[in-house]
Amino acid sequence: MSSPSAVHRTGRLETYSYDDQIVRMFIVATIIWGAVAMLVGVTIAFQLATWKMNFGLQWITFGRLRPLHTNAAIFAFCGNAMFAGIYYSHQRLLKARLFNDVLSRIHFWGWQAIIVSAALTLPFGITRGKEYAELEWPITIAIAVIWVVFAVNFFGTLIRRRERHIFVAIWFYIATILTVAVLHIVNGLGLPVTIFKSYSVYAGVQDALVQWWYGHNAVAFFLTTPFLGLMYYFVPKAANRPVYSYRLSVVHFWSLVFIYIWAGPHHLLYTTLPEWVQTLGMVFSIALWAPSWGGMINGLMTLRGVWDKVRTDPVLKFMALALTFYGMATFEGPLLSIKSVNSIGHFTDWIPGHVHAGTIGWNYLLIAGILYYMVPKLWNTEIFSKKIANTQFWLATIGLALYYVSMVSAGITQSLMWRAIDVNGKLVYPNFIETVVKIVPMYWVRAFGGTFVFISFLLMTYNLFKTMNQGTIGEIEVFEAYALDDSSLEENAGHHRKLEGLPMVFAVLSLIAILVGSAIEIVPSLLSNQYITKIDAVKPYKPLELLGRDIYLREGCYLCHSQQVRPMAHEVLRYGKNSEAGEFIYDHPFQWGSKRTGPDLARIGGKYPNMWHYRHMINPRDVTPQSIMPIYKWLVEQKLDLSTLTKKLSVMKQLGVPYSDVDIASGVENAQAQAKLISADLMNQGVPKEVEDKELIALIAYLQRMGTDYGSLPVNK
Amino acid sequence: MDKDIFNHFNQPWLPMTALGIFVTCFIIYVYWTYKKSNKKFYENSSYMPLHDGVKHER
Ligand code: HEC
Repeated sequence: MSSPSAVHRTGRLETYSYDDQIVRMFIVATIIWGAVAMLVGVTIAFQLATWKMNFGLQWITFGRLRPLHTNAAIFAFCGNAMFAGIYYSHQRLLKARLFNDVLSRIHFWGWQAIIVSAALTLPFGITRGKEYAELEWPITIAIAVIWVVFAVNFFGTLIRRRERHIFVAIWFYIATILTVAVLHIVNGLGLPVTIFKSYSVYAGVQDALVQWWYGHNAVAFFLTTPFLGLMYYFVPKAANRPVYSYRLSVVHFWSLVFIYIWAGPHHLLYTTLPEWVQTLGMVFSIALWAPSWGGMINGLMTLRGVWDKVRTDPVLKFMALALTFYGMATFEGPLLSIKSVNSIGHFTDWIPGHVHAGTIGWNYLLIAGILYYMVPKLWNTEIFSKKIANTQFWLATIGLALYYVSMVSAGITQSLMWRAIDVNGKLVYPNFIETVVKIVPMYWVRAFGGTFVFISFLLMTYNLFKTMNQGTIGEIEVFEAYALDDSSLEENAGHHRKLEGLPMVFAVLSLIAILVGSAIEIVPSLLSNQYITKIDAVKPYKPLELLGRDIYLREGCYLCHSQQVRPMAHEVLRYGKNSEAGEFIYDHPFQWGSKRTGPDLARIGGKYPNMWHYRHMINPRDVTPQSIMPIYKWLVEQKLDLSTLTKKLSVMKQLGVPYSDVDIASGVENAQAQAKLISADLMNQGVPKEVEDKELIALIAYLQRMGTDYGSLPVNK
Repeated sequence: MDKDIFNHFNQPWLPMTALGIFVTCFIIYVYWTYKKSNKKFYENSSYMPLHDGVKHER
């Protein structure tokens, strides 16, 4: 199908070919890492259904595997898929070979090396302790470098293009490249202690805001904009129909990029974040409804006239369902950003349900459609088995439905139990564990739903490798096109259209769009040190507590526990005084968490004796029957590492924590003295052997300190 | 301290500015894309993904 009236081009004809080999490499990587990501996902789903699946092994315990799952799914699976799709479509839309073959290879192997290093560090608890930004500083730097390589290769190709107008898909790619770079660098700032350890430069409220500005926009600019770009290329391609409304796609692009960047604070509603930032986040999240649905409608309407093919063609089938899920997830997102709805959904399983409607429903299914389109093309053959693709389609759909329904009902059920208050103003379910036991059956349903999705992925893996096997790479095709000269400009082209043809100007404009939002939202809060009223009672952590906090990060406790009591009656009844911004000023990084699989720990200090924690960490079921928390028995076996303590204290000092030189110099001594006290108390309570040099002692010290400074002040000041 | 920790920092003009910037830009680009004289160009553009199979541009 060709356009009704294309511009008449003249001038010099040039020949060129595409670098499809790099696309093939990224495709294979996508398939392999996708399977790994889902395998880890299914594993942690079973770990939540039964603690026994943690096997008492520290390297595969929930808190360490969960970051591996999210990083693998987002950066390895979706990342490689996005690079494959972008490199395939970018060359074709611009009628030009990728800028530099060597850069493409560096990009590919560099990215795989980053993924491998993530897989080699996260299970060992080497983490920055910030969700979706866990990778330690050397890997964070490597990501920035490889991203720049990608950018150079991408923009170099743009400059050498033979097509004047830059198709809307490429606008989405440009926004992705620029925004991800900004997000990654700003949120990645930290001060190293050792090669495997660093502290975020931000603390408390500020760290939270930067983190969720990043976290939310990772969803927006890593999982959404590049895939919308891919949609605008591959859906018309697969349907052999033009984009339903190109004008709508232009409005879609600008609105989405403009609005998305503001929405991050909806992850922090009812926290100690300034009120106006919360409201801003909520309003912009609701506004996102419009562009998201505009995009979905544009995608689905592109399929008009080929609905009969949607029933039979696996490519279109996956794409149509992906767009439907995109519509559902982007309906639910703004809904969850409304404060009153958020007060129910936040910290519960509703959120993982929502997230997976997006990542499985939109990303996985769209990627499946794109792979089924590209693989036969690149290997010069047909799909090996449409029947397998069909089975995959249904397995994935049913699996996702089980996942989603179980999580939403678990989330709402538990939330209602948390907030239930009787006529006397008392909690109806004061024991947190009651609310956990209630939803464990849902955790099983989720785990099996996830297994279905995983099996569907294995079917696709088999199907695609069979397809590759039966095809051949064939000869490199040579194309012929006119060099870019003035003949490509139509007469009377308007300003905006010339602008659309100027990639650098365009890039700068999109950059401004996201920077304006970011600046207004973040900069005032970064300067807000002067606005957070200091709470005199809040003091820096003692050396042993700081080490304990690092163990808390290492074990990923923040993935099941929050540290933020929201200003709501039932939370105050359950946990104690609501949190205040001034309490977190020494927390590099903040540990507010985003999910309460276990209870909030902001006021855990002093709630139980040391002995309770000792027994709980070795086997939670000893003190809380039916607990699903994993065991942490290695903490009582491993010796506490004091060798980096002095360095840690001085890095904290550089970050503004008021440790004196004496504090730093006497850090080790001080830690040992505190450990002795705790250990002596434990021995008094019947612990048979000396444990003062063990990691668990530091963790207990931290837990017992948490929330006590401010929490011990009288309620009415 | 409590509630008023951030009260010194209640700056309603900030979100209002944000909204203002967005609305202005929105009006400009919607006007631009839906301008009559641009119609044909955008219709042609919607076909771009379908052109890349063309081996010889003559
Ligand atoms: C898989 C999720 C999970 C992880 C990971 C996890 N916990 Fe828990 N935690 C729970 C659950 C569920 C409970 C409630 C049942 C219980 O008391 O064991 C709980 C309870 C607690 C309690 C008691 C809270 C109270 O108020 O009664 C403490 C303290 C605690 N966990 C500390 C930790 C620490 C420290 C870590 C990291 C080393 C950790 N947890 C990791 C799920 C988890």
